[in-house]
Amino acid sequence: MEEFEIRRYITIGQYLPLNSPIHRLDPRFKLVAFTILIAAVTFTPTYLGNAVLLAIVSLLVVVARVPFRYALSGLRPALPVLLLLMALQMAFYTEGFARGVAGACVSVLDLWFIHVTTCSIKLALVSAARFVELLMLTSLLTLTTTTTELAHGIERLFSPLQARFNFPAHELALIFTIAMRFVPTFAEELERIMKAQVSRGADLGQRGRLRFIQQTKALLPVLVPLFMSAFRRAEDLILAMEARCYVGGRGRTHFTQLRSTPQDYFAVAAAFLLAVLVLSTPWPW
Amino acid sequence: MTQTAPVLSVRKIVITGILAAIAILLGATRIGFIPVPNISGNATIMHVPAILGGVMEGPLVGALIGTIFGLFSFLQATSPLFKNPLVSVFPRIWIGVVAYYAYVGGRRAFGEIPGLAIAGVLGSLTNTVLVLGMAVLVKLLPVEAIPPIIPQAIAEAIIAAFITVFVVGGLRLLESGRGGASV
Repeated sequence: MEEFEIRRYITIGQYLPLNSPIHRLDPRFKLVAFTILIAAVTFTPTYLGNAVLLAIVSLLVVVARVPFRYALSGLRPALPVLLLLMALQMAFYTEGFARGVAGACVSVLDLWFIHVTTCSIKLALVSAARFVELLMLTSLLTLTTTTTELAHGIERLFSPLQARFNFPAHELALIFTIAMRFVPTFAEELERIMKAQVSRGADLGQRGRLRFIQQTKALLPVLVPLFMSAFRRAEDLILAMEARCYVGGRGRTHFTQLRSTPQDYFAVAAAFLLAVLVLSTPWPW
Repeated sequence: MTQTAPVLSVRKIVITGILAAIAILLGATRIGFIPVPNISGNATIMHVPAILGGVMEGPLVGALIGTIFGLFSFLQATSPLFKNPLVSVFPRIWIGVVAYYAYVGGRRAFGEIPGLAIAGVLGSLTNTVLVLGMAVLVKLLPVEAIPPIIPQAIAEAIIAAFITVFVVGGLRLLESGRGGASV
């Protein structure tokens, strides 16, 4: 039965309680800074640009005092797919990032339908570097920020829009909080349903790439009850909130007050400057 | 002070949160993935909550659940394919939106149950087509790698249709007091 112990394996917001400058950043500013960095990584198509970004992201990991094995924990399970994708990219993306630039790519290998060029190798390596950078950035964000901080950050970040355009900032934060709150509840529920179905003879135990039809069939009697019980809980929560006259965000005050410090402004300014510099520099390769 | 009508009612907020929780849960456990033998590695049912949200509470709820699902799949991705916000977040916004309009159109043309099935299929295909389309566009996946994924896309669409029909149909039965089943 231990393969159904779902609660033990959910890791959402694996927060590392440390005291580093990145942990202390105001969540609003942290979200903005990380978004800027993620955009910079996503749109940099050069070796040098990615080397610089990789160095900066590694520096951030060091500053956050997060051990590298935590920041890179997602790398090992991803390796097989990563290598396969790199091989496919090398074999098929003959033009790489340089579309329509004549003479930009030099053929390296030409075998039947496989055309490896310097451009396709670049594409594969840059994509892999990007993956590592994004992996570190996203784990850094979740390792240094609690989910509560994230919810506060989202709410306060968008609250100017709420006043001006009726944008539901408070509601979004509430949705996020409800979602996070109910994940463990539903994990428990899912565990119970799975055990119930197995005790009735459902075949949920074995897994394997060639048994996908059986697995899919076995999933329906688990998922449908899960959704049904979720909706029942939703109705309860709706009733409870309406009974307490919940009216949403306008005019609401907050228990937690976020205060920005010069460090927060510095972090966003640094991220922005960095993104502009990396994206505007004409890297030679 | 004039109080403008809230964009999201209590019902919409709660349903969005609850369905997003299921999407996150399916992503965080192995339940959401069905291992299959091709490049993508796994067929998924994590987009089903977005379809259900769209069908039951409208396009905005569907889009919000899709966005949360997308953000989590970006933050928790262990596949290089989804470690790119253009592939993991943007396409997911549209799942619930498409599902809603497919349901409305399908219900008018063919009736309730076929409408739900159509919503499941089109919502699921929105996920597949947009994700793969973006992956090809940002050059993460060559077009040549797509054909082996097609059977999986069809399977995902069929599963999504089944779950949508069973769950929404079942809830409608409960609401009308004709069904009494519980776990």
